Amino acid sequence: MKRLLPFLACAVLLASDEAKKPASSEPLVPPGIEVDDHTLEVLRRINSVGPYEVPDIRLRRETSYAKTPVDYEPFGKIKPYKEHFLEQMQYNGPGRAIPEPEDVKTVKIGFIGPIMSTVSIATGGASHEEPLGIKMLQGARLAIEEANAKGGYLRRKVPFELVVTNDNGLWGSTGNEVANFLYRNPVWAILGTIDSANSHIAIRVALKGEIVVMNTGDTDPTYIETNIPWTMRCIGDDRQMGYLMVDYMIRKMDYKRIAIIRASNRYGRFGVREIRDSARRLGRPVVIEMAYKLGQDDYSLQIDRIADVKPDVIVHWGDAREAAIILKQIRERGMKQPFLTSDRAVTKEFLQIAGEHAEGVIAGYPWNPDAPNPRYAEFRERFRKRFNDEPDTYAAHAYDGMNMLIWAIQVAGLNRAKIRDILATRIKPWPGVTGDIPFSAVLDDAGEVYLARFENGRWRYYSREDLQIPRGYVPMRERTARELLTQAETK
Amino acid sequence: MKPAAILLAIGMMSSALAAEPGAEKLPFVYTKWKQFTVKDGLPDDHIYAVKSDGHRIWVGTDHGLALIDKRTAKVVRVWTEKDGLPWPSITGIDVDPKTGDVWLALFGGGLARLSGGRFDHWHQLNSGLVNDVVYGVAVENDNVWAATTAGASRYNTVTGEWTIFTEKNAPMEEIWNYGVHYRDGKVHLAVWGSGVLEYDVKTNRWKDYLDPDGEMEIDLYRDDGIVHVITTGANYVDNVLWVSSYFGVCRYDGRNWRGFYNMDSGLPSDFNNNLRARSGREAWFASDKGLGAIMDAETNTWVAYTRDPKSDSGKAVVMRDKTVLETIEMGLNVPHNFIIAIDVDDKDVFVATAKGLAWGIGEGYYSGLRERPRMLAENRRDEK
Repeated sequence: MKRLLPFLACAVLLASDEAKKPASSEPLVPPGIEVDDHTLEVLRRINSVGPYEVPDIRLRRETSYAKTPVDYEPFGKIKPYKEHFLEQMQYNGPGRAIPEPEDVKTVKIGFIGPIMSTVSIATGGASHEEPLGIKMLQGARLAIEEANAKGGYLRRKVPFELVVTNDNGLWGSTGNEVANFLYRNPVWAILGTIDSANSHIAIRVALKGEIVVMNTGDTDPTYIETNIPWTMRCIGDDRQMGYLMVDYMIRKMDYKRIAIIRASNRYGRFGVREIRDSARRLGRPVVIEMAYKLGQDDYSLQIDRIADVKPDVIVHWGDAREAAIILKQIRERGMKQPFLTSDRAVTKEFLQIAGEHAEGVIAGYPWNPDAPNPRYAEFRERFRKRFNDEPDTYAAHAYDGMNMLIWAIQVAGLNRAKIRDILATRIKPWPGVTGDIPFSAVLDDAGEVYLARFENGRWRYYSREDLQIPRGYVPMRERTARELLTQAETK
Repeated sequence: MKPAAILLAIGMMSSALAAEPGAEKLPFVYTKWKQFTVKDGLPDDHIYAVKSDGHRIWVGTDHGLALIDKRTAKVVRVWTEKDGLPWPSITGIDVDPKTGDVWLALFGGGLARLSGGRFDHWHQLNSGLVNDVVYGVAVENDNVWAATTAGASRYNTVTGEWTIFTEKNAPMEEIWNYGVHYRDGKVHLAVWGSGVLEYDVKTNRWKDYLDPDGEMEIDLYRDDGIVHVITTGANYVDNVLWVSSYFGVCRYDGRNWRGFYNMDSGLPSDFNNNLRARSGREAWFASDKGLGAIMDAETNTWVAYTRDPKSDSGKAVVMRDKTVLETIEMGLNVPHNFIIAIDVDDKDVFVATAKGLAWGIGEGYYSGLRERPRMLAENRRDEK
């Protein structure tokens, strides 16, 4: 049924006799830009409305939020009064009626990410995000260069221009940078960021200033839990990875005592939230959660406390450097518990520091770089040639996110609201180098997430099916509309 | 006659009386409106802020500040960057009642004061302003509060002292301040991700109001507290706290909370950019689908003002809970259904929308409900 939904939506949209045809005989979309009938119909509708109208572009509606199994639902034994995030947010403002400007020499797209070494408060007074941000920039840049090699913005035959800015300064500088994107060096859409505090600031400004922010590197679940119609993300989030890790630890491996050690920044705090809550809801509350300050070298205090509670498994959430040092110190004192960590550990830096201890480490991962995807193989080749280096997850997702923005600009033209509409109403998954990217109602990447396991000197990526990890029951009706389930139904 | 039959007869008579036109208690409905757009002299149609100040209406737009004189109903002055305005976009306005100074929250440009025809400018590099993205500004006695994207700043206009409030010295789980309001000795901050924070000026103490279920994706019980932790505005009037959010709105009278959603009230949409409370019983909400006014909190009686997207007309729908009591067709009321900010005075209402400003003229305004004929306009129609 799920596969039929896009086609049904498309059929309903096409069947409406309210559809307006373009007055001009010019093609709606420049030749060479791939576009399906559904998107063409959306384009006709958004092109036909005046400043006071809101087009009927069929908002998505889902039956459960984030495919959450019933036994992971908060307050699962109670029917909530109101459930959010099931129906897609519409943009109801007049922005679609703003005409495309005539005097365009380049089509500017904003990039905001951690690309300079700073002392960001948001990241705890220290940061290891610059290498990630630079990779993100490289992926975005490659997409821009390739689009320009194909003729740039095809309607006007002008190039795309990447407007690059750093977001890793004092907490709040991201807001100033996005304001600059709105008023001082205007761009048509924005790609960024990685740190979740900075991402939240960016999207608040974007909401009021009415501009798309495509996130490609922030896996904080709450990023899209803000009801902002301008925000989207093309990378799997920590909620999905957390569910998979808990399913692995409890439903498959039957670990009974889970310990958590995490960074004391926002990434650590929010990253483990779904793991902690889901474990508790399955009746296996986390036995200890220890936080550490970023940049520490000695974690003996935290590890002492964790050792005292004799855990079956240890989960870490933080950056690669800390993951590796903590793992080493755990192993050096003879603790042999399985070590699970976040996707940020899947880096060269982690392996260099962790050395032989990396063997057997498992990390949540938002995609599968080993999947037989010719798009990724070709991208990897081009990336290596351009930057003389391997792409990583940040580069690959930025490449996908930037290509989504470029595609939407080519289809919609130079109008921020229409760029949003084209992306928000896309019903086919985006064919990315990171795999197919389907959007949920909150415009989050609803695609599959994976577990990466370091085996015999390399990371291998496993899907839920590969490892035969059971999952809980995901109901097909929203919580407020269904009766409370019996114990048997939740199995 | 049996007692039950007597009661039934009395009940039927009561129902008949209640249904009689003229016997119903209904709220005041604004039927006279003026609109202002670029055609009327505004520097931009996209309005972020409005402030009523005696016979003046200050209007903050995406590209400039404007002043409307209520006596002539004309735009009498406009300031853009060419005129010394330090930043084009104005997201909040307040007026110092002692000095008449006009304080402006600049969306990326910091804080400005228009005083004696001159702009003064405060930003991160020349003051204690914690961030240049300022969403709201409020004058509290000699202090000016700024709600910024990285905390709140307080500027003492007499001593020149700045105080910064962040997670270090205030109960801010997140520091993304969105709205600020001062009244009756309390400053209220609407903080995106931290609910509402209350600062008692006398005691210098903070109090926080957080969503009691602690979850982003649900509201567990109705009326159990703030509807969501992401808040957009908070007003404190008559010892009542009104709160707006992108997930519904709510009211707290010091003892009981009451939540309002589109599904159980006359609120046009759950996505609310801001609010302005006139009293403990009446508040106005800036939704993305029209202007929603709860005119009598006790009975959940609302009036929703919307524009017909295809014509120069609008309507007001009077609702109690989700029951439509009457629909009044009228000329243009709000110029656009995407409402961003509101201000009220004793009887008038001023509405900033994404495409123009509306001024609702409250001739004959009354608070709460009154028995009145349900015939407000010749072309009204019942939709009971």
